[in-house]
Parts: sequence; structure tokens; C-alpha cells
Amino acid sequence: MNKLYLWGIIITAAMLGATYVTVGYQKGGLNGDIVNMLAIAGAVALVIITVFVVIKYVRQMQVDQATGELADESWDNIGEYKNPVPMGWAIMFIGTMIWGMWYFLVGYPVNAYSQIGEYNEDVAAHDAKFEKEYANIKGENLVNMGESVYLVECVACHGLNADGNNEIDAADINKRISEKSVKYVVNHGSNNKLLGMEMPMPDRNGLFNANTGALITDAEIDTVAKYVANGFPAADQAGADVFAGVCSACHGADGKGMEYVAPDIREWSQALVVNVLDYGKIGAIGTMPSMDRLNAKQKEAIAAYVMSLKEGE
Amino acid sequence: MFHWLEKNPFFFAVGVFVTIAFAGLIEIVPNFAQASRPVIGTTPYSTLELAGRHVYIKNSCNACHSQLIRPFKSETDRYGHYSLSGEYAYDRPFLWGSKRTGPDLMRVGNYRTTEWHENHMKDPQSIVPTTIMPGYPWMFTNKADIDTAYAEQLTIANVFGVPYNKAVPMKDGSTKIVKMGKDLKDAQALALAEAQEVVKNMKDQDVKDAVANGEIPEIVALIAYLNSLK
Repeated sequence: MNKLYLWGIIITAAMLGATYVTVGYQKGGLNGDIVNMLAIAGAVALVIITVFVVIKYVRQMQVDQATGELADESWDNIGEYKNPVPMGWAIMFIGTMIWGMWYFLVGYPVNAYSQIGEYNEDVAAHDAKFEKEYANIKGENLVNMGESVYLVECVACHGLNADGNNEIDAADINKRISEKSVKYVVNHGSNNKLLGMEMPMPDRNGLFNANTGALITDAEIDTVAKYVANGFPAADQAGADVFAGVCSACHGADGKGMEYVAPDIREWSQALVVNVLDYGKIGAIGTMPSMDRLNAKQKEAIAAYVMSLKEGE
Repeated sequence: MFHWLEKNPFFFAVGVFVTIAFAGLIEIVPNFAQASRPVIGTTPYSTLELAGRHVYIKNSCNACHSQLIRPFKSETDRYGHYSLSGEYAYDRPFLWGSKRTGPDLMRVGNYRTTEWHENHMKDPQSIVPTTIMPGYPWMFTNKADIDTAYAEQLTIANVFGVPYNKAVPMKDGSTKIVKMGKDLKDAQALALAEAQEVVKNMKDQDVKDAVANGEIPEIVALIAYLNSLK
């Protein structure tokens, strides 16, 4: 029993005591919880092993003598014994090399992690959550969602009040259609893949006025453009006549459109707004890029928001 | 041999270098060669677009706008598909940027129009009231440098084999040919024809007049470049 062993016992006792005190005074300390107890057992084992190992090597330094045959080289008078490699070390070394080969050739986890993989998982999880949360959204909530998407995606051109911007050729979407647009469509025809159909509207050379039996005239275009843009006022008899003669065959007597034939030109409809978002639009005043990176629900929401807009509100 | 190496530290160092360099080469070079190939749908810049790119660089647009969409949902929702390294195959130099004072412009051609850019470059606050971007009115009077753009085209076509006047595969299965002029005059004519397409959607009368007179203001080249970012 020399000083070394005495110090070992003292340090062991001190560390175990410190462990006991530290853990015991923690909230939920020595309460028999299996994880806590395992951690404490680990701490105790670590302390004992550490002290045991340190004592072994310090003792070795105190008493051991180096023996064996010296190598020929001398590096600044530092010699080296030609002792054989320790067996445990050699096994570890060879084992590591074999494991390394296996790892490079077979075991390398090519599918373990990739940034794109994480991104894909992230998107899938988010989409699933979105689907679940908003599967049945409707009414006020849908309009609110539409407004928030509008404020991110559409506001840059159509403006905060959705009243458009003439400078950058963005339409006023508080109203369904402007006089200028009506004239443009009548003059040039239209084929915006509306309602999923390739059904084009003819230009003015294909638009007959059933009342007069002739092609639509400039004066009639002006009249009907005013009538449609002003929201089909009952007082405008001239406009109503032209509309009934030329447009109502496809767009319906009330301008509300017909499924698979022609869109509603009286008010915004969901199918129409979604269609414009899908394909963009080339119209009277300019080009709108397609917004097809929005998901179906967001497009539906924008449509609901646009439909909720009324002039002057 | 190891004994000999131990006694000759210089050759030992050389051996270590060769070993590590070899490992690096076989890991890095094949991946790099694969990733730097242009992806399908990536086309070389036309003369006018290249001139616009020079305007972009000259005015330090890349100091505030990045051109690199990272693979995070928040970014792809806002800017579109994340960037692929092959999409920069014809960018010399690339304009990734490291700071976003303004939004990313990697795919701005998908969701902004000529009209929008025209007004936004002249007076950003008239389009986006709260923006801190300054206006760039001089671009409407300065003339784009088509000569330099053509010089660059010639160089990259000869030195790097950039496929001008060759069919380049597009995403929808078709091919597209980006033309490069035979000589400077030809290149100027091509750029002017392209500029005429762009100004059709512009409103500024001075710019329209300039293009009608055969001159190309910087703004036209810049818009052509921005519209090509998809």
C-alpha cells in the first residue's frame, strides 16, 4: 500500500461522492428512473476504470524498465526498440484496413443522406400536412387564404387594391372585363385554352350579328363593349340588342357563359381564374405569366378571393 | 522501401502528396465533369442577352440579387425549382451571389414580364411601393455594347465549344438553335432583330425610337437577359 493507491482511493471516493451529490440534488435525481440509474451506473464505472487505468500506467512508469534490441537508426540520439508490434494493436490495425475496404467497396451508404433527399422529404411532409389541414377549407377561410396568396404572388403587378396598373399592363381585377378588353377580344378572337378546351373564339370576321344578318360593325363593337364592361345595365337597350345578336349564342343570354363552350363574362368564375393562373394570359393590354407553381388549393383560393372582390369595396 | 522513406523526409512528403492527390482526383474529377454538363433546356446566351448580362454585371445587380435557389421548401415555393449546377454551364462567370438584399433572380423570366421590368427599372417604387431598390434611369439612354458581347460569344464558342448555331435539346423534346453572327455586322443585325421583339412590349417612346433607328439601349438588352432567366 503506497501513496499511489491511497490517492487512487481518495480520488475515487471524491468523484463518486461528487456524482452522488450532483445527481441527488437535481430535480428528479435518484428517483429510480431506469435511464437515470443507468447513467449513474455508467458514471460510477467510468470513475473506477479511469482510476484503475491511471494507477496501472503511473505504476508502470515508476518501476518498468525498457528492454529489447535497439534499431540501427538513431534520430538525434533518440533510439527505437525492435520490439514486435503488440498483438491487440496489430489485430485492430488489420481489422480497420479490412473494414475500410468493405466500407469503400460495399458498405458506403450512398442513400444515407442527401440534401435533395431531405428537401424531397420536407416537401412531401409539408404537402401532406397542407392537404390534411385544408382539404375542406371553404367560404371565408378560403377567401382569406386567397388573399394571403394574392399578397405574395399577385400584388407585384395587380397592386394592393387589385386595381391593376396601366403602366405595367396589369388588369384591374375588381371588375370582370374592361371595355378595352372586350374590343380586343372581339377584334382578335381569343384562344386561351379557357376551360381546358382548345375552343377558340373567332375574331370579328367570324362574328355575325343575328339581328342584322351581317358581320359585327365597329359601331356595334363600341356599343357592346360598353354594355359588357358596365356590367350588363338594363337601361342600355342598344348594347343588349347587340349582345343578344352576336354574343349570346355562346356566352348565354345573361352573359354567364356555357360549360365547355364559353366563359362567364359577367362575373369571375373559379374555372376561369384557375385557368388564367395555369396558362397565363395574352390579352388586350399585355402578357401575364403563368403561375403554375401554385398548388391546386392555392389557385382555388385566389379564385375565391378574386370572386369576393367587388368594385368600390 | 519504407525504411528508406523514413530516412528521406523529402521523398516521404512527395509520396504522401501523390497518394492524397490521387485519392482526391478520382473522387472529385468525375463528379465535377458530370455535374458541370449543361442540363437539358439550358441554352447559350444570345448576343443581346449576353450584352444584357454585361449590363447586369456592370451595374452590380449581383451585389443585391443572387441567382441560386437552394433546395428548401420556402425558397422553391417562392422562386421555383432549386438550381442545378448544369444550369450554370454557360455562365462565365456564374452570378450566384452571396447576399440577398433583393430577391433571387435565377428564374425571374418565369414570373415577370417585359412591361414590369421596364417600369420597375425606371422607378421601382411606382411598382412596389416599399422597395429599397434604386432606379436605373440611365439604362434607358446608355447604349448596350453589342461588340463586346459578340467578342465574348466568339471566344467562348472557339475556346470552350459553347454550342452556338447548333441544335440544343429542350425539355419538351424539341431542339433550339441559338444563333451567333458570322461577323460583327451580322451579330449586330441579330441583336437588333431580337431587340425589336423586346420593345414591342415596351412603352418608353425614346427607347422605341432608338431601336427603330438601329440603336439598342441598355434596358432592352437587360430585359432580354432577365427574360431568358428561366
